[in-house]
Amino acid sequence: MGDILSTSVSGLLAFQQALDVTSNNISNSATPGYSVEGIKLAEQPGSGTGGGYFGNGVNVQSVTRSYDEMLAAQVRSSQSSYSSFNTLSTQAAQIDNMLSSSSTGLTVTLQSFVNSLQSLSTAPASTAQRQVVLSQAQALVTQLKSYQSQLTTQSQNLESQVGNTVTQVNTIAQNIASLNGQIAAASGGGQTPNQLMDQRDSLVDQLSQYVNVNAITQSDGQMDIYVGSGQPLVVSGTAQTLVASPDPNDASESDIGIAAGNGNVSDITKEINGGTLGGLLTTRSQVLDPTENALGQIAIGIASVMNQQQASGMDLTGAQGQAMFAVGPPQVLPSTTNTGTGTVSATITDATQVTTDNYKLTYSGTTWDLQDTSTGQQVTMSGTGTGTDPFVGAGVSIVVNGAPDAGDNYVIKPTAGAVDGMSVTLSSPAQIAAASLGASAAASGNTGTATISAPSITDPTNWTNGSYTISFTDPTDYQVTDGGGNVVTSGTYTAGSPISFNGEQVSISGTPASGDTFTVGPNNKANTGDNTNVLAMAADVTASVLNGGTTSLNGAANNLVSAMGVLTQQAQANATAQQSVNQSATNARSNLSGVNLDDEAAKMLQYQQAYQACAQMIQSSQTLFNSLISAISNG
Amino acid sequence: MRISTATFQNNAVGQMDALEAALQQTQLQLSTGLKIQSAADDPAGMAQVNQMNVQISATTQFVTNSNTAQTNLQLEEQALTNASNIMQNANTLAVEANNSALSAANKKDIATQLQQDLQSLVSIANSTDGNGNYLFGGFANTSAPFTQAGGTVSYNGTNQVTQVQISTNQSISTGDNGNVAFMNIPNGNGTFTTSAASTNTGTASIGGGSVTTPSAWVPDTYTLSFTDPSDYQVTDSGGNVVGSGTYTNGDTISFNGAQVALSGTPAAGDQFTIAPSTTTSAFSALSNLISTLNSSATINSGQLTTLVNTAVQQIQNSITNFSNVSASVGARLNAITAAQSTATATQTTLKTNVGTIQSTDYTAATTQLSSEELALQAAQESYASLEKLSLFNYIQG
Repeated sequence: MGDILSTSVSGLLAFQQALDVTSNNISNSATPGYSVEGIKLAEQPGSGTGGGYFGNGVNVQSVTRSYDEMLAAQVRSSQSSYSSFNTLSTQAAQIDNMLSSSSTGLTVTLQSFVNSLQSLSTAPASTAQRQVVLSQAQALVTQLKSYQSQLTTQSQNLESQVGNTVTQVNTIAQNIASLNGQIAAASGGGQTPNQLMDQRDSLVDQLSQYVNVNAITQSDGQMDIYVGSGQPLVVSGTAQTLVASPDPNDASESDIGIAAGNGNVSDITKEINGGTLGGLLTTRSQVLDPTENALGQIAIGIASVMNQQQASGMDLTGAQGQAMFAVGPPQVLPSTTNTGTGTVSATITDATQVTTDNYKLTYSGTTWDLQDTSTGQQVTMSGTGTGTDPFVGAGVSIVVNGAPDAGDNYVIKPTAGAVDGMSVTLSSPAQIAAASLGASAAASGNTGTATISAPSITDPTNWTNGSYTISFTDPTDYQVTDGGGNVVTSGTYTAGSPISFNGEQVSISGTPASGDTFTVGPNNKANTGDNTNVLAMAADVTASVLNGGTTSLNGAANNLVSAMGVLTQQAQANATAQQSVNQSATNARSNLSGVNLDDEAAKMLQYQQAYQACAQMIQSSQTLFNSLISAISNG
Repeated sequence: MRISTATFQNNAVGQMDALEAALQQTQLQLSTGLKIQSAADDPAGMAQVNQMNVQISATTQFVTNSNTAQTNLQLEEQALTNASNIMQNANTLAVEANNSALSAANKKDIATQLQQDLQSLVSIANSTDGNGNYLFGGFANTSAPFTQAGGTVSYNGTNQVTQVQISTNQSISTGDNGNVAFMNIPNGNGTFTTSAASTNTGTASIGGGSVTTPSAWVPDTYTLSFTDPSDYQVTDSGGNVVGSGTYTNGDTISFNGAQVALSGTPAAGDQFTIAPSTTTSAFSALSNLISTLNSSATINSGQLTTLVNTAVQQIQNSITNFSNVSASVGARLNAITAAQSTATATQTTLKTNVGTIQSTDYTAATTQLSSEELALQAAQESYASLEKLSLFNYIQG
């Protein structure tokens, strides 16, 4: 009977503990990161008698948690991917929305500028129309600058988010390291500290939102965490620190490094992937920097085209046209690691060759090498790098001075600063050079039917403001003489084909007679109806003037809109896909580790009934004892 | 399969969230009327829409340009018609003056009337458009292109005229310069001019003549001289005789593929010159006639008739020139009309295409909205009913 009692008591205790576990499961059914726990019961060793072995009740062996390392890893990696694409798509959508407006987009503003030039061509002397051109030019600058300022703000926010994320990662890594220590200590008794393990798994889940990590559990229960391409972040009880520090070439952008125990920081910016951090770095390299450069390229294109054409024209006061736009010069960013005293300066020499890429100029000790940092390719430069014979590559001319040391390098961003430094440099409507710099006329005594076009100045720097006479010695041969009677050029006449000399060009069509002459000289400001130069401006602005003459300004603006649209669309699609992958991984894990209340209800009933049965057994043992006592007392 | 209670809840809520997001997107399409909210919705479509919007804008600008050109050209056409009318009037006066019965005083009266015509013609040549720019000055359109000093009118404008673009690859001149319209008008019959020597004493006058055999015509200055009233010879500039014969009043004399008609009786030693055509202005046609008529008393009758004939021919040449320039203006106006109707058609097509790509298809969007509503409703109802299922509900204390 004593056995019945003690056996039943062991059952009572065991089922009470089982109900404890069930109650804990029910209580935590909505706790994130909670792994459902179960109780492991085992039969107690039996007592041997002549009649065989009798059981001695039940024993609670351990409280276990339902957990699968592989399912958890799947949740984390999909979480990292999702976070990364979600960050990218959120950030890219801001740029996409900024560029996309079909009523106020850059293509619309550019076209309005072209339209204002066209309107001016119908009334070249009109101050009102000239004012419209200046206003549209200003609107163009304002729009580009508002894009630039949004980019700058977003970029600053992004950098501070990078810093915050790194801080978060470090805090979590520190906590994981400390939990590792506690878990190692608590596991000494052979039991698993489920609560600490759940807590640590939760932290690793959180960490994987910030950056893609690889977690490996050691035999002693401690978990090592690796980031990037296998750089250890947490090893047992020790956490390394991620460091966000300014890029040596560009203090406005942070690099991500990992500090080893000895304090050395190794740069792992390129190795970081996944999570918010990965998404932010991708946004910087694929959205913000390219957009800034593309806008800069467009700004440089407009300024180059308009300024060159202005120089070919005469303004309303009779003077040669001045530059219409100013743009920021190429940025030259020396590395903070440079040890020499070299200085590098860069200027745009050929806007049609300027790309949206950035470049790195490195001194090898004997030679200078220019590398396109976007494609990784070497760029061939002509020249020797001196002021009189600068290096020229990718539309940029580079002058190097001073004494650089081997390994010194300079990042050159031809387009990044263009919009920041952009402005309209004309102050008065009269300064728009609508007329050509030159004028031409047919001599009054000409007997042929040939007519001469207004001259166009093809090369303002070679144009000399001189007066020239084109005379036909016979109907098929012409010669051009200057004011001093010197022959400048001569040739065979073909109707309509251009005759070029000293930076200007005219075309004669029709049939000249022998002895016919034409004069070409400086224009007269009285020729206020001359719109040839403003027509040339309108034509140039719509021509293919970028990327080696393959892309128009409008085309470049439109390409940027669709490139950012495609990128955003892909990021959104990837985020959606990764969200669903993450959802099913989370479901799979949750189906194993989550609490099912019906399960718990059934277990509760089972344990409750068993508990009641044990209590009945104690009752029954009392009855048996009473029967015995009364038999004795009755006897 | 075992499903955790939390998963069931999360999934159900997640589904409803997704359906609500889709509903919101569809609702946005319906309320904005735009299928593409940003480039990310349809990058290729957005690029096309941008490109087409640029084309629509450019086309609108070309239509505006062509309206300006149209106004200018219509003004020019009107000016040319007025100039032509003046010359018609001068023509009538000149024919009237070519009457030997009129006295020198009568001729002076006609000259006075012609002087009025000359002033009107100069004023027409200096007419301006609505903005005060001179129609016939070429590039120099802010000061009067024609200036008059005595009987001489000179042109101070340029040969080039303002051109405007009326379509992507079509530019037209918005006017014609003064040389083309008024100054460089061929004289004589276009090939040669005829004149009588001022020393002539006979009554013979020479007509404008014509080229009958162009292949035989040799451009040169020829002298037709009468050795006596009935014998003539034609010599070229080198003194070579290229034709000779006898003349009776009203004969036509032919040489080197050309023929000239004379009337009246020449005196011995009278000379006529046949020289290659050059150009002269509409103004000098009138001013020459005016000075001829003013001094008619002192001019030999044969020469007077010749001078008036020449003036009449020149007045008619001017009328022809105005009509030619008008025809060219008309052709440009036609080109503008054609370009404008092409522009309208292009714009209609582009706007339709933009609409197709960019605008919400209301039928499709409404259908989609209903089906999404239905799905959300179903999700909510099924969630509410499944949510009630729990074993705990059946365990009675």
